Amino acid sequence: MMKTTFLLNGETVTAETPPTATLLDWLRLNQHLTGTKEGCNEGDCGACTVMVQDENGPRALNACILFMPQIAGKAIRTVEGIRANDGALHPVQQAMVDHHGSQCGFCTPGFIASMATAHATGATDFDDRLAGNLCRCTGYAPIIRAAEAAVDAPEPDWVGADRAALAALPADPELPRSSDELAAILIANPDTRIIAGGTDVGLWVTKQMRDLGPVVFLHACKDLQQITVTDTEMNVGAGVTVETLREAIAPHYPSFAEMLRRYGSTQVRSAATIGGNIANGSPIGDSPPALIALGTKLHMRQGDTRRTIALEDFFIDYGKQDRHPGEFVEGITLPLGAPDLKVYKISKRFDQDISALCGAFNITVQGGVIASARIAFGGMAGIPKRASTVEKALIGQPWTIGTIHAARDAWAQDFTPLSDMRASADYRLEVARNLLTRYFTETQGIPTSVLEVEL
Amino acid sequence: MKDHFTMDSPQPRLLDETKQGVIGTPMDRPDGPRKVSGTADYTADHAPDGMAHGVLVRATIARGRITGMDRDTVLGIDGVIDVITDPRMIRNPAQGMAGSAPVQTGDEVHYHGQPIALVVAETFEAARDAAQRLTVHYHAEAAAVSPETTPDTETDDPVTAGDFDSSWSAAEVQIDRAYTTPSQAAAAMEPHAAIADWQGDHVTLRSALQMVRFNKAELADTLGIDPSKVRILAPFVGGGFGSKLGLGPEAAAAAIAAQKLGRPVRVVMTRQTVFDTVLRRSETAQRVRLGATKDGRITAISHDDRVSNIDGEGFAEPVSQASQFLYGADGLSFTQTVARIAATPAGSVRAPGEAVGMLAFEAAIDELADALGMDPLELRLKNLPEKHPIDGRPYSARRLADCLTEGAARFGWADRWQAGTRREGDWLIGIGMASAARSNMLVKSSARVRLTGDQAIVETDMTDIGTGTYAILAQITAEMLGLPAANVTVRLGDSDLPGASGSGGSFGANSAGSAVFLAARKLRAEIAERLGCDAEGLTLQNGQARGDNREAALTELVSEEILAEATIQKGKTAKSHFSSGFGAHFAEVAVNEWTGEIRVRRMLGVMSMGRILNEKTARSQALGGMIWGIGAALTEEMQSDPRDGHIVTRDLANYHVPAHADVPGDMQVVFLEERDDWANPIQTKGIGELGISGAGAAVINAISHATSKRAYDYPVLPDRMVALLEG
Repeated sequence: MMKTTFLLNGETVTAETPPTATLLDWLRLNQHLTGTKEGCNEGDCGACTVMVQDENGPRALNACILFMPQIAGKAIRTVEGIRANDGALHPVQQAMVDHHGSQCGFCTPGFIASMATAHATGATDFDDRLAGNLCRCTGYAPIIRAAEAAVDAPEPDWVGADRAALAALPADPELPRSSDELAAILIANPDTRIIAGGTDVGLWVTKQMRDLGPVVFLHACKDLQQITVTDTEMNVGAGVTVETLREAIAPHYPSFAEMLRRYGSTQVRSAATIGGNIANGSPIGDSPPALIALGTKLHMRQGDTRRTIALEDFFIDYGKQDRHPGEFVEGITLPLGAPDLKVYKISKRFDQDISALCGAFNITVQGGVIASARIAFGGMAGIPKRASTVEKALIGQPWTIGTIHAARDAWAQDFTPLSDMRASADYRLEVARNLLTRYFTETQGIPTSVLEVEL
Repeated sequence: MKDHFTMDSPQPRLLDETKQGVIGTPMDRPDGPRKVSGTADYTADHAPDGMAHGVLVRATIARGRITGMDRDTVLGIDGVIDVITDPRMIRNPAQGMAGSAPVQTGDEVHYHGQPIALVVAETFEAARDAAQRLTVHYHAEAAAVSPETTPDTETDDPVTAGDFDSSWSAAEVQIDRAYTTPSQAAAAMEPHAAIADWQGDHVTLRSALQMVRFNKAELADTLGIDPSKVRILAPFVGGGFGSKLGLGPEAAAAAIAAQKLGRPVRVVMTRQTVFDTVLRRSETAQRVRLGATKDGRITAISHDDRVSNIDGEGFAEPVSQASQFLYGADGLSFTQTVARIAATPAGSVRAPGEAVGMLAFEAAIDELADALGMDPLELRLKNLPEKHPIDGRPYSARRLADCLTEGAARFGWADRWQAGTRREGDWLIGIGMASAARSNMLVKSSARVRLTGDQAIVETDMTDIGTGTYAILAQITAEMLGLPAANVTVRLGDSDLPGASGSGGSFGANSAGSAVFLAARKLRAEIAERLGCDAEGLTLQNGQARGDNREAALTELVSEEILAEATIQKGKTAKSHFSSGFGAHFAEVAVNEWTGEIRVRRMLGVMSMGRILNEKTARSQALGGMIWGIGAALTEEMQSDPRDGHIVTRDLANYHVPAHADVPGDMQVVFLEERDDWANPIQTKGIGELGISGAGAAVINAISHATSKRAYDYPVLPDRMVALLEG
């Protein structure tokens, strides 16, 4: 059991729970705060969204895959607490009534939490802010109109009051507060399961009913959450969230940042970490292809021993990574200055979907001739993988559609994809080839992105 | 005062004469503030004192017999109370309006995922843990799980008019195409849930259900008790779309367990269990044959289909429902085959029939237009029949031609370009359209209206599954009694109240709304009498009664409560006239030539659906339906394991309901003014399902226009699109 102290709708509370108890279960079962709903219990639908404030500001997170220790020292607002104590509705709540943004109402508490969070941060990109909330009734347009209508309304007092009250909360003694402490814990007990954002590991608990055994949470290790930028490279700590990385990387690699926007919902991106997305080793993790195409280095740490490897070398086989007992991902270094990097995520549903395949292209052309090529794909093999044969077929050749056609057969030497419910093997291979054509046309200045087409 | 009304003749349009001015307005739903603040109480939000938690144990074989369960291994788990099996447990949810117990299988297993036992524990975690661990022994039998290969099929006699065969063979132009659609899920946001509590021999069931009157009878029959000993509560339901029409296994199990243990039991399904055990929409295989003269007169229409269901379920997706009355021909023929399979049973999902049948039928109409070299709009307008092509009934109210022409004008259809000729970068652009139709019904419904002074209360067991029942019943009452809508309290979802149609088949607002209207009309007569004027001469407005040069406040006239109850049922007009909502959908899409990704850029639906009771809730219903059309055309597909039929797309990560980004910013809905005098005394028609009917076909036809390629297997996923583009 672990004790977790936090603010719940303005009151300081201490909960004593198993470390993998979820906030949603605790709210509904222990507190009978039943406004927050369970629609899927795996972060797909957003009905359980709550607002979480810490020193970095407010975030909307899925309570169903948020373990209790992850909210230590933070301020939680559920749909009940978003309404003022005197019963006055938050501006987004009133706007949802006025604009008929709530029909059956079951998804509504999650929408309210996402909208109140956007309101508190001043964000107005509502399609993105609300992409992680599914609604089966309204067709979304009334909800977007409600969010827009509330933009200029004043912020309720409780937002600032929560922020001010954070400082008085005690630090959680059971969480490691630095990578040194984390390293020591893992050396002492190498079987300890590391939990960062929990957006995948959460499902092991809520969906697979797995007992995780001993766990350690790394969200209090502030030194793992740093991003430093030089002229030539960017160092990113393993604990940096995907949302933070997206914002940091956007000026350098807009195509990568745009893919990360579709990596998951706002709720998922705000919890998930770059270290987790890599260390988890999934063949369909969305960040590795782009990072591999850039030539990213991976920093591993075991006790006081550190090593650095090429990211692609970390992925050995399906479910198998180059990670020693007690070792953990400390961070990555990715080169800056690859202006032609393009990243393409292909999924059955445009937003909020697992990739059928995700490809990254980093090709440089000098004097009309391909000088270098790094191409990597997820969803095409048991691991994120480079298209080495294709790269060889391209390098030294003129950058023409003829060269792309000539490399056509090389793709099947690099990849033998599976057919599954996300896509057929034929489709995966054909689209991987086609994406190179798309990359080519894009470098010729022809619009190719879904988002460049007026919707 | 009880009034029993049969719809035998058109009724005066009283709601056009009343003066309160609230009917039809875009009034906010009165339940809105509770829903946005988390205080609307859904089933699983309740936890009565002493409640135990139940988790369903489900079969892991497709067909066979349970030979034993290792109960003792899980009864030792801390907190586990019992493992309950009972011959009264039900195999699957009741079909809509069944009113009797679904199949009760005892120790037989009929499909993978079938609920076979309930583990009850002090905590949800313990119950779930034990349900996972429980070892069940089976005698497995061979099972046919594929509708393509099962030997067990039933083919109905065809529905016909004229002589299809000779019309078809004589046709100058013929289209003969085969189509498929996959199983689909309602995927309402609220997972199914039930809490049962017994007081003596009376059971109270709180459950996420759409049709309380029928559900009460279903639970009584399931338990083998008198319906008078059953009370059902469903004041708030988190979406239904057909999936909560009938009593479900979770409710039956909760009631049985609560009876056995003598304490309340709650059973909440996980999202995966919802996918596995709640009635799916059947997959379909369809064949459409259209014959026409060279100048575009349709002479032959045939729409045959094969759907599936499990043994013992009478429901068959009525695929060709709209195809039978949209267009006329000399010969028409419709044949349905039902394949019996051992898989999750099939039932009604929003717009059963039209939702998938119109995808194929309206795509075939589009292809016929191509073959004729005609504008698809012109082909449709040219072939609208004068009367129902099968049974000859006149249409009660039909503005389909107006919807088509008004939609075409608003959408810019006249600017349509040659197929496959417009691109933006590597995006191919196209527009498409389709007719919309959804037949309209009236179902027996009762309601009571109480009036004290200027405050009214409406009571019926009708449900609001998100559709806006609380709003429209308040509006009808307020309009009839001349009150501000805020003065009307609406009580729903309690089987102790007068029994209504329930929410389903788009008939809820018509049926329950008419019952409320009739009860209120009865009160108007009483008020007129008290005022001393004719009912016809009575004007009620803002709490004042006027008539025959007299005037009095309702607070004076009705100082003590008066009440009226009314029941409506269908009558002669249902036989004399054919009532349906009609409309036209228009869509514009962009298709990526390299990846096959398809984006809907804008959509327009123009609909005539009788009197609109609330412009806001109606519009939202129509919009929401159009989103379902996008889902059916592009993303929604249930897949199952070909070995044992178990569903593999059993969560919201893999069953793709449209998300924000799938929905274009430019979604327009236009209602054409209409009154359907033959439908019911408030002249309304169903709204909830017309938005979906035909919407997907407009998207499909736009894809064909963009790419010059026709897809016949839906949804048009990127891999299917790329195969077509490169084929």
